[in-house]
Order: sequence, then structure tokens, then C-alpha cells
Amino acid sequence: MIVAALLVLLAATVALMAAPDRFRGRSAAGLGAAASALTFVLLALAWDGKASTSGEVDVAWIDVLNARFHLGLDGVSWPLALLTAFLTVLCCWWLARSGAGPAPSARFVALLLVVEGSSIGVFASLDLLLFFVFFELALIPMWFVIAYWGDPKDQAGRRRAATRFLLFTVTGSAVLLVGIVVVAIEAGSLQIADVQGTHSVLAASLIAIGLAVKVPIVPLHTWLPDAHGKAPTVGSVLLAGVFLKLGTYGLIRLDVQMLPSATAEIAPYLAAAGVVGIIWAGLVCLVQDDLKRLVAYSSIGHMGFVVLALATMTEAGVTGAVFGSVAHGLVTGLLFFLAGGLKDVHGTASLTALGRGLYERTRWFAVALLVAGLATMGLPGLAGFWGEYLSLRGAYEEGALDRSLAWTLLGVATIGIVLATAYVARFVRMLLQGEPTPIDTDRDLRARGVVVALVVPILVLGLWPTLLTDLLGSGVMGTSLLGVGR
Amino acid sequence: MIRRWPYVALTAVVAVAVAIWAIPELDQRAFFGYVPTNATPTMLPSLSLDTRVLPDSAKVMLLAAGVTLLVQVYSTAYMGKDRRYRSYALLIVLFLVAMIAVVATDNLFVLLIGWEVMGVCSYLLIGHWWEQPQSRAGAMKALVVTRFGDLGLLVAIVVIGQTYGTYSITGAWVGAADQGQQHGTAIGLLVLLAVVGKSAQVPLQTWLPDAMPGPTPITALIHAATMVAAGVYVFARLLPLYGNDTTVMTALAVVSGVTMLLAALFALVQHDLKRALAWSTVSQLAYMFAAIAAGAADVGISHLVSHGAYKALLFLGCGVVMHAVGTSALSAMGGLRTTLPATFWTMTIGFAALAGIIPTVGFFTKDRVLESIHVATHGETPLPGGVAWALLVVAYVTVFVTAAYAMRLWMLTFLGLPSKQHVEPPSMTWPLVALGVACLALSIGEPLDLDTAALSTLVALAGIAFAWWRQDADLPGPVQRPLAAELGLDHPITRLIPAGTIGVARVADAADREGIDVYPRGGAVLAGLVSSAVRALQTGRVQVYASVIAVGAFVVVLVGVIAR
Repeated sequence: MIVAALLVLLAATVALMAAPDRFRGRSAAGLGAAASALTFVLLALAWDGKASTSGEVDVAWIDVLNARFHLGLDGVSWPLALLTAFLTVLCCWWLARSGAGPAPSARFVALLLVVEGSSIGVFASLDLLLFFVFFELALIPMWFVIAYWGDPKDQAGRRRAATRFLLFTVTGSAVLLVGIVVVAIEAGSLQIADVQGTHSVLAASLIAIGLAVKVPIVPLHTWLPDAHGKAPTVGSVLLAGVFLKLGTYGLIRLDVQMLPSATAEIAPYLAAAGVVGIIWAGLVCLVQDDLKRLVAYSSIGHMGFVVLALATMTEAGVTGAVFGSVAHGLVTGLLFFLAGGLKDVHGTASLTALGRGLYERTRWFAVALLVAGLATMGLPGLAGFWGEYLSLRGAYEEGALDRSLAWTLLGVATIGIVLATAYVARFVRMLLQGEPTPIDTDRDLRARGVVVALVVPILVLGLWPTLLTDLLGSGVMGTSLLGVGR
Repeated sequence: MIRRWPYVALTAVVAVAVAIWAIPELDQRAFFGYVPTNATPTMLPSLSLDTRVLPDSAKVMLLAAGVTLLVQVYSTAYMGKDRRYRSYALLIVLFLVAMIAVVATDNLFVLLIGWEVMGVCSYLLIGHWWEQPQSRAGAMKALVVTRFGDLGLLVAIVVIGQTYGTYSITGAWVGAADQGQQHGTAIGLLVLLAVVGKSAQVPLQTWLPDAMPGPTPITALIHAATMVAAGVYVFARLLPLYGNDTTVMTALAVVSGVTMLLAALFALVQHDLKRALAWSTVSQLAYMFAAIAAGAADVGISHLVSHGAYKALLFLGCGVVMHAVGTSALSAMGGLRTTLPATFWTMTIGFAALAGIIPTVGFFTKDRVLESIHVATHGETPLPGGVAWALLVVAYVTVFVTAAYAMRLWMLTFLGLPSKQHVEPPSMTWPLVALGVACLALSIGEPLDLDTAALSTLVALAGIAFAWWRQDADLPGPVQRPLAAELGLDHPITRLIPAGTIGVARVADAADREGIDVYPRGGAVLAGLVSSAVRALQTGRVQVYASVIAVGAFVVVLVGVIAR
């Protein structure tokens, strides 16, 4: 099933690349949406319970290195793979419907499908080398997406942002690769299940640092606001909704689950870095003028909660990390659709340039932004809350941290929730409320279906969290990987 | 034209459903023999629709449903010409549902969801007229301050979940009854933080008066009768988890004592009717907390219900006055006795209830609060006797001040010479009459303690006499000025903390743009240096290469020889 899903994407990509003239505008986006929807269905069907590895494929690949083409999904990776396919469907839908910004071209859609396919590959890989290959494969198309289809008004800026993104992440990948090599040498295998339990603090640290660039963990985050500021709308959505998840997923899978004893030794540093990120990002958000940069920084804050959660290495914490990742994909995806949509319509995402009184001028944009804002500040009853709650719960249980540190981090992290409330209230006050100042380019939201398609799962997961938490629990991957350190 | 009655009908349906649900529970007895339904405690979140309606819950639910219905009827006239009537009316319905969830649920997460949804409804409704700067500012302040308090409830739920292994309130009660109150101090202080924020007690009191730019019916509903009082209810609901803890009860007594007197004094010096009533709400909420601190949670809930009725009446009456006069400034009022007769008579009942004059319900419930504090001075409750005595004295002083400001507001609004004719739309006066009747009818069957009644009536009459003596004169300058400035208590929340945070945020933003990039830039410079150094070696002259090779070979040989 997983292979079939990947082949669907490959076939669609090849078709789009081979005959770019056949697929112009909406038909390219339509093909992309159809292929991604089919992928979503195939991945959904692949699930056969949390007790076993779903859709497992294991064939010889590179014998010399002992690397195998080994794919499979479990409760941690399956929701993230589904999220990836779902967001790509919405991206293609948006391209076909939004009616603003650059017209969708076949090559652009093909690049999105490559990003999607390689990300699903990362989530499904059970072989370290295969993981790394997919991980790298996702990077290159994103460079093209930002550099060629980014901010149409600032060609030099988007190139610079794209290159910066590439250099940062490639450097991170290099460190990650060294970490993987160290593990492979120590354990004599590349299969995640075989390697599990190796004690190598060096490897755990290298993997954590390499992935920290991707998550991103403060202070390795400076590529992110630039990349989001210049990326096209759907590029931002995939960057936030999918790319950052490669990092958090890698931390869960390769560090917390694969190298638990070694990760427990670096967990305090990870947790502290996560909490620093929450506060740092919350503060910076309070003074941002560019809405896309603001959302980018808010992402860093959410990722801080995820990192705190997984660093506790408790059942609640790791569940919270997965929940936070999925919820962030939906909530920040929605925010980037809206912020990017505003930028596509008006040519700028600056709060001062956009003016005030959006409630009056473009009602749908305003209401959707309000809902997304409430979700991003972690309102209970919406999806964003549960990741934060479980993160705090994990910290309260201490897990791999000692009590004084864990409780201090818990207290500091809650301040991040107040900061999030303040920055949401600030942009509502500056942009949505106020004496309306209409401008010529005012035009209301077109692709309302995309917004509804995101709000519904945000509400459903917010009111019915067990839908996702029931996939997890102890016993993922056949061993009691979760709950280490208790 | 916007259709307005469908929203009233929708609210009526909800209210009737609540009545059918809640009325049979009024006589039910609370019991602790309940076995939680989820036998396997989970550490992961689990929402359940289990409800648990005790008699006090039923009273609060009926109050919320009743006031909401009256406010919807009233709003058809008060907000009838508003362009955003639909979102306004729907938010009221959403608010009612959230309030019912808070009151009725047995699940801590449903409680939290309702609690925060009420906060968001309050935020959106304060900002209903978002063209006005003071509405925007008040709304943002209310949201941020109450969310700060809500962190207490969030962390309290973390602690309760970990301590008792369940998110069922009844389950936690059973746990606390079986094993004693675990982590009572921590849980109690965290919940206290939450209710101090939501119920606008010191030191988080200032958001409530600043919420007054919202529509007046909203003030009556959310910022007087229900949401702010939900803090009292939730504290009482979770009391079995920390009720024996001296620290928590002392902290609650201190907070309530300071708040009741300060807020009453602030109300005494206001020149704006609505803001004075807002401070009065803060002060009355403190009475309810004082009753809980004295160990009489049911007395606190009784005062909650009684206050909900008379304060909703006063605010809705204030709305009629504002509708007629066009402002809430006391200086523009006076003489409305003859021009707004229905408002005058009903608000007179409301002010009498606020001042605690027999036979209104406010008299009875306030007396029971005083009596319960008096009982607590015997030292049989977790509250230390000395603290209870101090609280009792403060409470009597507050009775004096409350009677004085109620009398003053009543005189300034209604007495004097009439200015011009005004109209009272019937859909606005009928809710007033209903609430006025409730203020009298609810006192039927209330118990009476003669000593307390005599003393409190004397004190209240003294307050009324004081107000009559002063007429519309301000207090002496050295007292009036700091009180009118509300002692500058708002300064840290409105100025210092935001300014400090924004300052730090600017530094962080600048550091983020310029500072943190040092290492990638350093990396780029280093790479440049290395590449130019390497380029310098690549001269393209064979002689240099040959020399380097020769020297290198010599060094290698030398090292090899020495190493052996």
C-alpha cells in the first residue's frame, strides 16, 4: 500500500514533468489534488491496528551497506503521513481556487508532489539510510519552490532565503548523517528495530543537533522566518505543516525511541532549548509587522512545546509530541493559507500596510483568521490545546528530567501561553478590528472550502482527542519503546 | 432588517431544556458514595459527557438560563438597530452553552473548555463595537488577564490528573475522601489564581471595569450575573480537593477581604454609573469568596444567585437609562424618577437589594455571609480565628460603604428635577420587572438570624444616612483623589508589564534579526578565509608545487624516523 501510494505520486510527477504543456493552470492542480487524494486513501487503508507495523515492505536494497528498502507505518508515523497527503490535497485545491498569486504550473505542482512523496517516505522508513535518502530528497524541490515561485516582488530576497534554507538544512543533514553512521557502526545494522537500545550519547547528540535545524530549535531557527516570509503560500503551508514534522518525527523515532538511554542524558538540554524557544518566539511575535513572519515565529513556539514534550520521554509527553505535531500542521497550515492568501491578494503581509477593520472589509478572511488565531493560542476545545496540555503533563511527571528542572520548565512554558494570547489579540486588534480602512485590492477569501476542510479537523481533534491518542500508548513497534525513563 | 426573534426563540429552547433538567435536581442531596465510571484511570486526556448536577449547580444553571433569556429579549430593543446583531445574538447562545457546560459537567476538561469558551465570548462581546478604541483595549485586556489566570486552572488539572489518576471531578472527590486531600495547597492555590482572574479579584481586578465599553446587556449577563460568578462556583465545586487546607483558605480570605472593601470604596467615588456598578460587582463577588473562605460554600452560592438577579437588574436598568440619556455619566442623569417610572421602581428594588435592605433577597443572602464568617471566628474551620475576625470587621465596614454608594447612585440617577421626556421600550422594561419580582420572591423562605440582621441593618442605615448627608458632594480631596485614581493599581497591568514585555520583545526581535546570525555569518567568513588561503597556494607554478612536495616528503620521512 505504501509503495503503491508512493508510485501514484511518482507517476503523477513524471506525467507533469514530461508534458508540462498538457497540464496548464487548473488541470495541473487538479491532477496533483487527485494523486494526493488517492495517496491519502491508500495510506488510510494501509492501517491495520496499533499492535503491528502497518503496510510493511522489506526487500534487499544495497547489499554492500546492508541497507534494506524497509517501509512501514505505526501510530506515530501514520497520522503524520496522512497529514502530509491531506495538506498537499489542500495545497493543490488552493492553487486551483484561490485566484490570486502566481498561476499554478505543471512543474510547480510536480515539485509539491515530490516534497509530499519524500516526506511520506521519511515517515515510513524503517531503515536509517532510506530515512536519510528521503530526508534529503525533500529538500531540493523546496529550494526551487521558494527560489522560483516565491515572493514575486523580491527576486533577490527569495533566492537568498531559499539558499539560506538549503545551507542550514544541508548542514544539519550532514550532522545527522554522521550520527546515523555512528549508530550503524556501533550496532552493526541500519534497521531501526535492530539498532534500538544502543547506548551512544555521541550519536544521540549528533542526531538531535542535525534534526534541531529542521524542527527548528532556538537558536538554529533563523532560516525559518526568512524562508516563510518569501515562500509562496502553499510552499509555506508545506514547509510548516510537513517539513518541521520531519524534524520532530525524527527526534521521536531516532532519539527517543531508538536511543532511549542515550537520549535521556541529553534530554534536559533538549527540554530547556524547547522552552527557551517557546518564550523567545512568543516575545518576537509580539513585535512582528509581517503576518507571515509572525506565523513563522509562532510555529517555533509550538515546536518548543513539542520538543519539551518529547524530551520528557514519558507516555504523556511522546503522545503530546505527536499530537502537537499533527495539530500544528492543521492550525499553522490554516494560518499560512490565510496569511499567504492576504499577501497574494494585496502583495504584502505587513500589518500596517494591510490596514484595519478586516471584519468589515473582507469578512471571511477575518472570521477564518480569528478562528485560526484562537486555535494557535491553544484554546481548549480546539486541536492546538492537547499538544500543549500533554506537554505540561509530561513535564509535571518529570520523566527523563529531574524535578526542579522539569517544574521550572513547566512554569516558564505556561508563560508562553499568555504570550501567544497576547500576540493573537494584538493582530486581531490591529488587523481585524478598528475603523475600516478599505484599499483598492480588497477581495474576500475565495477558497473557502480549504478553510472549512481545515477547521473541521481542528474542531474534531479538539473535542475528541482520543481519536489520535488511542493510536499511541505503550507498545509501539512491538517493544515498549514509549514510557522510557519512568 | 435583521430578524431578531429567532435568537430569542433559540435561547428560550435552551432555557426550557435547562429548566427541565435542573429543577428536579434542586432537592437532590449531595453524596460521596459515588463510584467513578472509568475504573481504569488514564493519564491521557479523556473527555466525557458525564454530568453531575447538585442542588447548587441547578440553581446556578437556572440563573444563567433565566438571565440569558431576559437579556435576549431586552437586546431585541437595546441592540435592535445594530448591524452585527446576528453575531451578537449567536455569541450569547454560545456563551450560555459554555456556562451550562462549566456548571453541569463532571469532567475537568469539559469544565476547562467551557471556562475558556466563556472567556472568548466575553472577549468578542466586549469588543463588539470594535470601531471604538476603548472597546478594543478593554477586550484585549480582559482576554490576556483572564487567560493568565486560566493557567492556574490548566496546571491544577495537570496536578489533579496526576494525583488522583482521573479527570472526573467526582472521581477526584472520592479519591480525596478516601486518601485525604493530596497536594491540597498546590491545587487550591492554582485554582485560586484562576478564579481571581475570572472573577476580577485583587490583584487581577482591573479588567472588569475596563470591560464596560461592551454592550450593557452583555455587562449584565457576562460581567455581572454569570461568567464572573462562575469563578465562585468552580472554586466551590472543587473545594473537596483543598477545603481543609489552611493556607488556601487564608489566602482566599485575604484576597476577598481586600477586594470587597477596596472595590466598594472605588464604587463610592465613581462619576460613571456603569463603572460604579462594575466595581460593585467586584466587591459583591468578594463577599461570595468570603463565605467560601469561612467554610460555607452553599452560602456563597446563595449570594451568587441573589447577586445575579439584582445585579442583572441594575445593569439592565442602567442600560435603559443610557438608552434614554445617551451616556453613562452620572452628571447627565438626575430626575429620571418621573420620566422612567418602571426603571425607577425596579432599580429601587435592585439598589435596596445591593444595600441589603429587608425584604429583598440581597438582605438575606448577605446576612448569611456575615453570619457564616461570624461562625468561622469560633475557630472550628480551617480558617484561623484571627483572620476570620479581621474578615468579619472588613465585611461590616463594606456593608456600610455598599449602602452608601448604592444610596448615592440611586439619588444621583433618579432624584432631582426632571429634564425632558424619555421612553422605555416594553421589551426592555419587562425583563426589569421580572428581575425585580425575582429579587423579592427569592427571599421567601430564607432563614433569618436576628442578631446579625439587626446589626447589619443598623450599619446599612448608617451608610444610607452618610450618603444622604453628603448628597452629591465628593469625599474630602485627600481621600477622593487616590480612590478616584483607583490607587494606581491598574498601572502595572496597563502600563508597566506591557511596556516591559514589549521592550524585551523588541530586544529579542533585534537580536533575532542581527545577533543570532553570527554563527552562520561566521561560518561564511571562515569558509571565505579558507578558500582564499587555499587559493593562495594554487599559484600555478610548478617550482612551488615541487618545493612543497619535497618539503612535505622530507617532513613525513623525518616524522617516520623519529616515531620509530
